[in-house]
Amino acid sequence: MISTLRYHSYQHPSPAPPFTPTESSILSAALRHVPSHGFSTTTLSLGARDVGYLDISTNLFPRGVFDLVNYHLVTERLRLSQKVDFSKFEDGTKRLSTPAKIRVLCAERLRANSPLINRWQEALGLMSLAGNIPASVSELAKLSDEMWFLAGDDSHDMNWYTKRATLSGVYASTELFMTQDTSPDFEETWKFLDRRLDDVKSLGSSVSNISSYLDFTAHAFSNVLRSKSVPFF
Amino acid sequence: MAFRLARNRALIAPAKSALGAIPRTALFYSTSSKPASSGQPQASEAETHFGFQTVKESLKAGKVAEVFSSVASSYDVMNDAMSFGIHRLWKDHFVRSLNPGRKSGGSPMAILDVAGGTGDIAFRMLDHADKINGDRETTVICADINADMLKEGEKRAQQQGYISTNRISFRVENAETLDSIPDNSVDLYTISFGIRNVTRIPMALKAAHRVLKPGGVFACLEFSKVSPAPLDAIYQQYSFSIIPLMGQLIAGDRDSYQYLVESIKKFPTQQEFAVMIKEAGFMNVGKGYEELTFGVASIWKGVKPLDSK
Ligand SMILES: C[S@@+](CC[C@H](N)C(=O)[O-])C[C@H]1O[C@@H](n2cnc3c(N)ncnc32)[C@H](O)[C@@H]1O
Repeated sequence: MISTLRYHSYQHPSPAPPFTPTESSILSAALRHVPSHGFSTTTLSLGARDVGYLDISTNLFPRGVFDLVNYHLVTERLRLSQKVDFSKFEDGTKRLSTPAKIRVLCAERLRANSPLINRWQEALGLMSLAGNIPASVSELAKLSDEMWFLAGDDSHDMNWYTKRATLSGVYASTELFMTQDTSPDFEETWKFLDRRLDDVKSLGSSVSNISSYLDFTAHAFSNVLRSKSVPFF
Repeated sequence: MAFRLARNRALIAPAKSALGAIPRTALFYSTSSKPASSGQPQASEAETHFGFQTVKESLKAGKVAEVFSSVASSYDVMNDAMSFGIHRLWKDHFVRSLNPGRKSGGSPMAILDVAGGTGDIAFRMLDHADKINGDRETTVICADINADMLKEGEKRAQQQGYISTNRISFRVENAETLDSIPDNSVDLYTISFGIRNVTRIPMALKAAHRVLKPGGVFACLEFSKVSPAPLDAIYQQYSFSIIPLMGQLIAGDRDSYQYLVESIKKFPTQQEFAVMIKEAGFMNVGKGYEELTFGVASIWKGVKPLDSK
């Protein structure tokens, strides 16, 4: 029963590619304009123009700028398996533990946000709008599943829900922390990530523990949104 | 509602006598009861539907024109009554979602509103371009098969001061051909509550594809199929009995509104129409359509690919 609920691309070989070639070409061109124009309709228009389309062609994206955020989330999740290379951290005898692999995966995925980091709070704001929450939460769950899978944990036990939720909490809070981190090469973010992962290890994956992460995340998140004057829910 | 009806009746009272002059029998035509009254052998000509009646294709355009001539001046009032004013919200959403107008570093847009009738969509487009995008250069051509509808629109454009700006023009055009509109000349093609009246819908889609620039957008707002089923039953009840009755009360013309209701029922499903749009050479947007108010109306969008001829 549990195993049938489990999501993974490896177990459910990829359905249709998530974006058409036209969508991909416009959205990937648009992402290059995010650092200077943010997650905005201007950025979408610039992407469309770059590849020969018109301003009006951005109607191809029914959710507007959120489709651009979603494109980044989906493509970086799918790219994770190609980018991460555990052998860098292993020698002939010593293999990485599952928690160590999780740490590598989180850091790798977070690094993919670094080119957009000065604008990533805008993305978080869009993800928090009522209509976009289901898609954002589901994408976070898929990322968490992908990371557990790549770390070699494909256990089908009851813990699976807990593990997914715990890792989602760790990832989301670190991602948020990173948007406020000004230290060189995000040193503070990696320390923050280590502390969160240590907490999970030492406390075990108890439910109270998860809710404390979610609390932290919700709290920090609402502060960010307030500062951006985005209405929170 | 009662208050509103009473007020609307008073508003259109002067037009009533003019409408009364249209012979009711001319509006509906049954091929079975009058087989060859025109005296011409037409057995080979394709038949099309006119509401629930089946008529020869060559006759439908004329019939549709009659219906809309007979409703032109009371049309806007009737629209309000029929949809309880919701059509305004749908149209606002339609235009806002398209976001017409010049973007920074871009060019003004050329918009073509087909079956534009009294200009409802055209005016909204210009207002949006101006207020949201600070653009007073984007232009709209309001095209309709029926000169009476366009005359109402022109009157409104006059009153509201659009005419002097040269941003709007009115043209008699059949959606199936769009003869005076050059190839690859339009950024945005809209058709609102119009496609269902067109005799050969695939031809209209082809014409839309022809006039749009590569990258241009086709957007259609139209009544559609309600789901879930219990709601549909209620809606059918409402539309088949109440709308013609209101047509009678408000516009003094039950038959024309009977036609409107039946043509809604005959229109393809949301999914089927999305496939027709794709077959005409457009890329569907998302799953192809967006339902409004449980599917009472829907919006379909398609983008013309760069590599199409
Ligand atoms: C229900 S009105 C819609 C008016 C307006 N677009 C609106 O949304 O309020 C339908 C219009 O379609 C026009 N029409 C019907 N068949 C047409 C055709 N083949 N080509 C162009 N216009 C047509 C009618 O004359 C009428 O004005």
